Amino acid sequence: MQPEEFNPELNSETSMAETPEKDTARREAASVRGLSKSFRGARVLENVSFDVAEGETLVLLGASGSGKTTILRIIAGLEQPDTGSVILHGKDVTDLPARERGVGVIFQSYALFPRMSVEKNIGYGLRIRRRPRKEIKETVDRLLTLVRLEEHRKKYPSQLSGGQQQRVAIARTLAYKPEVLLFDEPFGALDAQTRVHLRREIRALLKQVNVPSIFITHDQEEALELGDRIAVLNVGHLEQTGTPDDVYNRPETEYVATFLGAANLLLGVISGDNVEIGTVAVPVGEDLKRFRDGQAVKLVFRPEDVVLSETGALPPGARRLTNAIIEEVNFVGAYERLTLRLDLTARRPAEGEPPLYTVTINTPERMTGVPIIVTRPKTEAGAVRLRAGTRVAVGLMSYRVLSNYVFATERPSRTVSTRQ
Amino acid sequence: MRHVRGFDIMRPLSIGALVALMLPLILLPLASIFIFGTSKGLASFWQALTAPDAIFALKLSMVTSFWATIFNVLFGLFAAHVLSRYNFWGRNALIVVISLPTAIPTAVAGFALLLLWGPYGTLGRLLAPQGIQVMFTAAAIILANIFVTFPLAFGVIKPVYDTMSASLEEASATIGATRWQTFWHVTLPSLRGAIFTGALLTFARAVGEFGSTILVSGNLAGSTQTAPLYIFAKFNEGQVEAANAIAIVLALFSFAIFSVLFFARDWLEDE
Repeated sequence: MQPEEFNPELNSETSMAETPEKDTARREAASVRGLSKSFRGARVLENVSFDVAEGETLVLLGASGSGKTTILRIIAGLEQPDTGSVILHGKDVTDLPARERGVGVIFQSYALFPRMSVEKNIGYGLRIRRRPRKEIKETVDRLLTLVRLEEHRKKYPSQLSGGQQQRVAIARTLAYKPEVLLFDEPFGALDAQTRVHLRREIRALLKQVNVPSIFITHDQEEALELGDRIAVLNVGHLEQTGTPDDVYNRPETEYVATFLGAANLLLGVISGDNVEIGTVAVPVGEDLKRFRDGQAVKLVFRPEDVVLSETGALPPGARRLTNAIIEEVNFVGAYERLTLRLDLTARRPAEGEPPLYTVTINTPERMTGVPIIVTRPKTEAGAVRLRAGTRVAVGLMSYRVLSNYVFATERPSRTVSTRQ
Repeated sequence: MRHVRGFDIMRPLSIGALVALMLPLILLPLASIFIFGTSKGLASFWQALTAPDAIFALKLSMVTSFWATIFNVLFGLFAAHVLSRYNFWGRNALIVVISLPTAIPTAVAGFALLLLWGPYGTLGRLLAPQGIQVMFTAAAIILANIFVTFPLAFGVIKPVYDTMSASLEEASATIGATRWQTFWHVTLPSLRGAIFTGALLTFARAVGEFGSTILVSGNLAGSTQTAPLYIFAKFNEGQVEAANAIAIVLALFSFAIFSVLFFARDWLEDE
């Protein structure tokens, strides 16, 4: 990497000129292949593979215990995998110690050296490489400008705010031109406001310096905003890797659908070209080839993809599902959240087939119907007011059909008891 | 508090009782050193202090304590590193053994050293034919000082080492530093305060050591007599002024070290 690439002015020009489509030959900056790892007999990682392209930001998203930190530590060389390999810019580094890998790790605790001033921290990587004093000074100056901490250069880490410390930590790793930047929950220790602010700043910074980076987080909002691509991890294996649009709008598993934002799930059965949910049927669409006839599936749709109509006239593009009764209307800031009960009556089960819907809702009224959550933006909520008790037609702007895994559990937030 | 408004009689009473208890036990004995030492005028105090044997005893105490401190700080640093960075079978046993010398009576420590290094001791017997004698020399005093102050520096450095975030050393490694560079640039600066405190504690304790040194040094005036031994010897000879002069110096020295430890704590811990 050339030192000029850190020049923010120079880079903003090139990034304007260069469009992503131009980059036809995708160059892998970092790859992990078939990583597996156990700690004291407990499987932490199960055959994890993914790639990060040059200049790309990949977010490893997963709940705590999903193994995302272990992946990061393996890439950094702070942990050894049981099997699998780590490749940085075409070179297998699996057996190299951390200090020879040339990766930059930004720790959640920042891990700034407390007895070194800001400029000493930033220059550390070059000092231990015994670079000429002049080069160190120039690099430190340039990086201080890049992270906008010029006036804090003589301060010690304890005199800086969390966000400032984080920027010092990034500058400290950029100084020695790392092969890849690894961010270990970098915003975990910050308050909500600083977090949002800083992640936008870092996103812009990463686009400037054009260094491939891997973020780990459990925050789906952070993942969607930061990632060029997102890899969703669940108990040690990758559920799905794709662009934020892919994983949010076209989740491949129920885990991905529910981990990235809210999702409504309805049990159904494949019947011909349709998925049958009780007496209602909606077409499966292009995913049909993935299923066989009679297979149990789930219809998944996001609360914001539901359209409601008192008159029964749905906007073009909406697929009519069924009717529902509005049970609750809550105003939650930017949008309105409605709880509905769908009129889903069970199809008469075939011989030996368990009934799909015999739902009793655990409310004092013991109302029946399948509950779903719908959100409407403020503008729409203001234009068409809906009250609890109103009957409406329910349409879906978009939905996914996913296979109903044996181990998939219903969302715990629902107070639905399905008795037979 | 029960007496939100009025006068709380317990307050002056408890403070008074506290001082009254400390007076005969601590404050008066200390005061009497200074009162007695200077009762015959500063000139005689100065004379007692500058007697050749007295100067020698003070110097010997300082030098032997210095080398014992150097050794124990280096050892404490090394032991803290090994025992907090690696987990192995027998780790706790080692920690107990390192801490043991504080619990052993100093006379027992001196006696044990004699049994090992003395002319008829296990090791001494082998060294004696080579003309090497360890006991009854300055080296014996250093050995005794090392023994009795063994866990002090370790005890201060280890907890700091334990609480020091491992991510600092990991960060240094990912940046590209060797183990030695990490130790020198990252670990050592963070331990600076602990090393300083540990050294002062060790030194202060070594300077005052009596029980073990009287057994191993030979207590020869002008040769192997440390300052505390000098006080004891002069007192036995009835030269109370001579003993008192050195006693004042040692007491003032302790005050100085204690003040540094007490007031420099903020400086040591922050920064």
